[in-house]
Amino acid sequence: MEEKKSIYEETGMSREELFAFVDHSALESEKITAPRYSYWKSVFRVFFKKKVNIVILVIFAIILGFTYIYPLFIDYNPYANLMDATAKHLLPSQAMKRFGANIHWILGAGASGQSTFDAVWYGARISITMAFIVAAINMIIGMLVGAVWGFSKKVDMVMTQVYNVIGNIPYILLISVLVLIMSGSFWTMVFALTVTGWIAIAYFIRTQVIIIRDREYNLASRCLGTPITRIATRNILPFMTSVIVTLIATEIPSYISYEVFLSYIGMGMSDMSLGRLIYQAENAMLTPGWQFEFWSPVIVASIITTVLYVVGQNLGDASDPRTHM
Amino acid sequence: MAKYLTKRIIHSIISIIIVVMIVMILIYSLMDRQLIFKADPTYTNLGNNAKIVYQHRRWEEFGYIDYVPYTEWLAEEARAGRITEEEREKANGFARTAEKDSEFVAEYVKKYTDYYQSKGYTVRRLDAIMSNPRKVANGGAQQLFAYKDKPLIERLVSYFTGFITVDNIHYASGDVGERGIKFTLYDPVYGGKKFSPAIIGNGTLHKYLFYVDGMFPYIHQNLVTINLGKSYSVNQGVDVFETMNASQGSYIMREITYPSGHTEVSADDLHTAKYVEGSREASAVNRDRFVDDYTSVITEKSGFSKVGYSFVIGFISVLLAYLLAVPLGIFMALHKDKLVDKIGTVYIVFISAVPSLAYIFLFKAIGYRMGLPTTFDMEHVTVLMYVLPIVSLALPAIANLMKWLRRYMIDQMNSDYVKFARSGGLSEREIFSRHILKNAAIPIIHGIPAAVLGSIIGAIITERVYVVPGAGNLLTKAINANDNGVIVGLTLFYAVLSVTSIILGDVLMSMIDPRINFTSKAR
Repeated sequence: MEEKKSIYEETGMSREELFAFVDHSALESEKITAPRYSYWKSVFRVFFKKKVNIVILVIFAIILGFTYIYPLFIDYNPYANLMDATAKHLLPSQAMKRFGANIHWILGAGASGQSTFDAVWYGARISITMAFIVAAINMIIGMLVGAVWGFSKKVDMVMTQVYNVIGNIPYILLISVLVLIMSGSFWTMVFALTVTGWIAIAYFIRTQVIIIRDREYNLASRCLGTPITRIATRNILPFMTSVIVTLIATEIPSYISYEVFLSYIGMGMSDMSLGRLIYQAENAMLTPGWQFEFWSPVIVASIITTVLYVVGQNLGDASDPRTHM
Repeated sequence: MAKYLTKRIIHSIISIIIVVMIVMILIYSLMDRQLIFKADPTYTNLGNNAKIVYQHRRWEEFGYIDYVPYTEWLAEEARAGRITEEEREKANGFARTAEKDSEFVAEYVKKYTDYYQSKGYTVRRLDAIMSNPRKVANGGAQQLFAYKDKPLIERLVSYFTGFITVDNIHYASGDVGERGIKFTLYDPVYGGKKFSPAIIGNGTLHKYLFYVDGMFPYIHQNLVTINLGKSYSVNQGVDVFETMNASQGSYIMREITYPSGHTEVSADDLHTAKYVEGSREASAVNRDRFVDDYTSVITEKSGFSKVGYSFVIGFISVLLAYLLAVPLGIFMALHKDKLVDKIGTVYIVFISAVPSLAYIFLFKAIGYRMGLPTTFDMEHVTVLMYVLPIVSLALPAIANLMKWLRRYMIDQMNSDYVKFARSGGLSEREIFSRHILKNAAIPIIHGIPAAVLGSIIGAIITERVYVVPGAGNLLTKAINANDNGVIVGLTLFYAVLSVTSIILGDVLMSMIDPRINFTSKAR
């Protein structure tokens, strides 16, 4: 029987050389072994896993490029062809024959001989900028007020009554009165849409806060003496991220739609926004052969709102931690 | 429950009053008064003092100010018997400037000035503007008037106190003979032979306080009238409530016998006769037809009222929406992530994201291709005319309902009680119909009263695009015409509807779901 060699003889090293004593680390033993998790990284991982999101994001980038960069490189004058009777109300094919085939004329020419394509993007710039600003203001005020509203029962009593009152003032009336008082400028429109617009968002946030506020884990946290600001920022806010993102996704396109609606009933702003373009092209809608003038801004507006909506919705889905598994 | 409801109703009434107050501040205090003259040719044509007087008179008509000219005050004094007719005539002629007034006139002018200044009015005297020393310029005649902004509280109180009027036999100011109310079983409008009960008043505003006729709702009353506010420009002098509820379209011409026995082919509805003092004497036509001063009648027309059209279209589309959206939503939830669900989601995204204007025009274009009428014609109403407006209202409503029903059902599907029911051996069918659907339907049911009552208000874009003579455009029309009375009236009407629908929704929800209890303290 062969004698088994010990590891010390085989390697020729002593016990001290081969093994080192490991101290017990109280700190390390507290760590839980789990895969590294980064919230925003996971959000984007889930978001880009869907191929359709990449396509929509590319369209979104193209739209943003046309609204913000394209107007910088062109010299657009809506009244350049005002005196030229043959340049008005042209279909794309006619316009291209008349002015040469370039990007300006792919949507034809409008009532004053202007390029519809350029007009649409100038209008889109105003509308989209307005929607972003309004959404930013409404979301910030709405979230702050909504958080306080949800936490404090005293504030809840007062604010619910305020909500009942403001909710019953016809929105169209308020906006048109403001537009009449302050002239229909861009900032008037922003003011009119934000002066009461935040309250609906605040109410929504309030309801969400109330739902999460009384959950057991928050009760436990409160019993352990966690200050309320920490509960709000650490326990509740992460829960609400996906709700907030989804809300932003519905709000931004809805402001564009609302602007279109207000312009259509003649109460919009005086700048050449998308809504006002549609409003002015409404007469062309009734004339056979000119409908294209009406449809092109309508369709571009629809594409913009749809893309914004879908990007937001999918981002909202991706920002829900339950989808990160 | 009753206590809770009373509390809710009181809260709602308070918030309605505050809403009306805010709207009054918005339109009477914040808005530029000059705007009402924007498209007024009379105003542009007038000059000098006449322009200023016209301006103030119009402001009074639109409800901004109280305006009392000197001559009107004198006439009122004479009517009240404080001064004689001769004195009135003598005092009436105030001179071109204050210095030139005779002593007698100056005394009255001072009285007038002191009286109105003590009441907080501003008294303005405009000296005559002369084109040459002997001739007054066009519109430059001397003027003397007092005016005062109506204070908000006074405006609010007078609005709400005049909101409901109950007719009484002391209404008519003139000599009407014996005042009283008389009940008859044989309505004189039908010749006094046909059996038809009616209550006829004398001395009241309306001649017929109760009557029966062949039109829905068959029994009518004029005893209690709701006054939402008089229109100044949209439908001049007519109350908003009447504007919304009066029938439209072509006249229903038929042979009618007037109280005097005179017969004529006309559309007058004698049941609506109202008292107008001295009107019989004033016109030969009225003398022919009537025997008393109840001469103001409304003509009968063949179409629905504004609210009627809006409600017919709105109600059918709400009905259609619930009938289609509920099964579709359930179907989508049942086949989550399958093809049906994906198609449904695309449709929901389309409706939620695309501006409503765009898809309504799209529906119109599609309808036009299919040969449906795209505009509403009150003279030749056909069933087909209703199709496109109803579809345009129903399709977005369907998407909205589907979206929420699907969401609620999927949320319920993942809840513990469903897993428990499944582990307990219930069939999928049973779980869906008896457990999930019941719970998911609660928030959907909450919205039913709002949807039905909301259809009274009408839809702005749909009615505009299809030229439906509905109530939807009334507010925008009133705003464009600066018709303050209509704006306030409509706001009140909308606020009452929305508050009622929220309360009704809560009641309905608590009836469906026994867990919801409003009596015990929440949270």
